[in-house]
This record gives sequence, structure tokens and C-alpha cells, in this order.
Amino acid sequence: MSEHRDGPAAGDDDSGTTGRATRRTGSGPGRILVAVYAVFALAATGRAALQISEDFGKAPLAYALSALAAVIYLVATVALARGDRTSVRVATVACSIELVGVLTVGVASYVDRAAFPDKTVWSHFGSGYGYVPLVLPVLGLLWLGANRRRGVSR
Amino acid sequence: MIDPLTTALYLGTGVLVLLSGLFTLLDRRVNTLVLAVVAVVELITLVQLVVGIVQLASTARDVNGPVFVAYLLGLVVVLPLASVWALAEKSRWGTGVLVIAGFVLLVLVARLQQLWTGVGV
Repeated sequence: MSEHRDGPAAGDDDSGTTGRATRRTGSGPGRILVAVYAVFALAATGRAALQISEDFGKAPLAYALSALAAVIYLVATVALARGDRTSVRVATVACSIELVGVLTVGVASYVDRAAFPDKTVWSHFGSGYGYVPLVLPVLGLLWLGANRRRGVSR
Repeated sequence: MIDPLTTALYLGTGVLVLLSGLFTLLDRRVNTLVLAVVAVVELITLVQLVVGIVQLASTARDVNGPVFVAYLLGLVVVLPLASVWALAEKSRWGTGVLVIAGFVLLVLVARLQQLWTGVGV
């Protein structure tokens, strides 16, 4: 991962844009995105580890989804930070699953309360986390799209 | 546990968020001033770690120990990790990372309070 840090100064692609360090998904505004993803990777991992270790039987579906969310956030964080061609694909898939996940779990947590006696990161569209879980995958996909148009993923 | 230490944490982190937020708006990179504020806040979190563990060991409160310590450790690691990530970015987005880190610290301190007082857990 460390090789990507000195990227902007190298100017090693031919996209012709000057100055701005926005050529990889992990730099420029992407730095913020990766930072927020890292926070959620940690938060979701912590929550899932706690829920599963304390009493998995209490809400198995919610807790399994917490663990799934944690894995998705971890994958998205690393993939966005790396930003090479394969990573961009992986990040796109991860953000897409994340968006579907937060929408599905968001609806399900309102419709079928019995299945969600305890919360996950995604329940109620992430209201416990200031709705950031709902916004994050959208921003991620937009950012990946913007980079693709710039020709980064070549 | 709303004590001088907690107040110092909120104040220091508040200054960090405002300063790095201003730097991001003004399109400035991370500089010595910002790093000095980061260092001060980090120092306070280290004191909080030690004080928190001592208080946990001597309290009669019903505090979830492992989770409380996890939050204390979280408090200590946020700024070093964020600084490494921020310094590698030679643009306004580097200071932007520190704004995010500041918000995370504020949330962690608030959660720490909740865990300690048992209110809103």
C-alpha cells in the first residue's frame, strides 16, 4: 500500500490534468472517503464482535448482518485506499453490496421489528450513525464513477 | 465523570476540528501548528487512558470493562493513524482527514461518558 502515498508528485499517467492529486481513489477527496470508511470498518467490526461474543442467540440475523457490514466496510476501505484497477472493481462491488444492504436492512428493520430486536449499523437506514451508512455507499460509487471518467482505472 | 479531563478533551478536540476545518476551507496543508494541536490532544487522550483504567479498577460502578477499555484505546489510536493518513496527502484533503478524526474523537468521548454513567448505553 505504501507505494501509493507518493503518487501525486510522480504524474505517471497521461490524463493531462495538472496539479490536482485526484488521480487515484485514495487521494484528493478520496482521502476523506477512505478515512470515513476506515472509521465504519472499525465501528462495525467492534459492534459485531461485541454482539456475537456476548449473546449471538439474542438476535442472530441482526448480528450476522453486523458482521457482514463489517467485512464489506473493511474490503471497501482497503480497495479504495489501494485504487489500482482490480481494487476499483472490488470497491465498486463492495459499495454496491453496501448500498443494497443498507436499503434492504433499513426497510426490513421497520417492517419486521421482531427480526431485529437489536440494532445493526444498517438498521433504520443507519439512523444510529447519523445516516452516514446511507450516504457513504452513494458517495463511494459517485467517486469511483468520477475517477473512471478521468481514466484512472486504465 | 464530567471532570476537568473530559472538559480538556472536548475543548482540545473542538479546537482541532475548528482549526483543521478552517485549513480545509482555506485550502491549506497540514502544518506545524495543526500538528502541535494534534500532539496536545493526543497527550490528553493518553492521560485519559491511564486515568480511565485506574478509575475502572477502583470503581464500584457497573461499567462494561472490556468495552470501556476498548473505547479508551480507540481514543489513543485515532490521531496517530489519522495523522499518517493526512500527512501523505499534500492538499486540503489532508487537513480534512483531521476534521473527520476530530469528529470521531468527540463521538468516542461521548460514548465513553455514556459507558461510565450508564446513561443512554
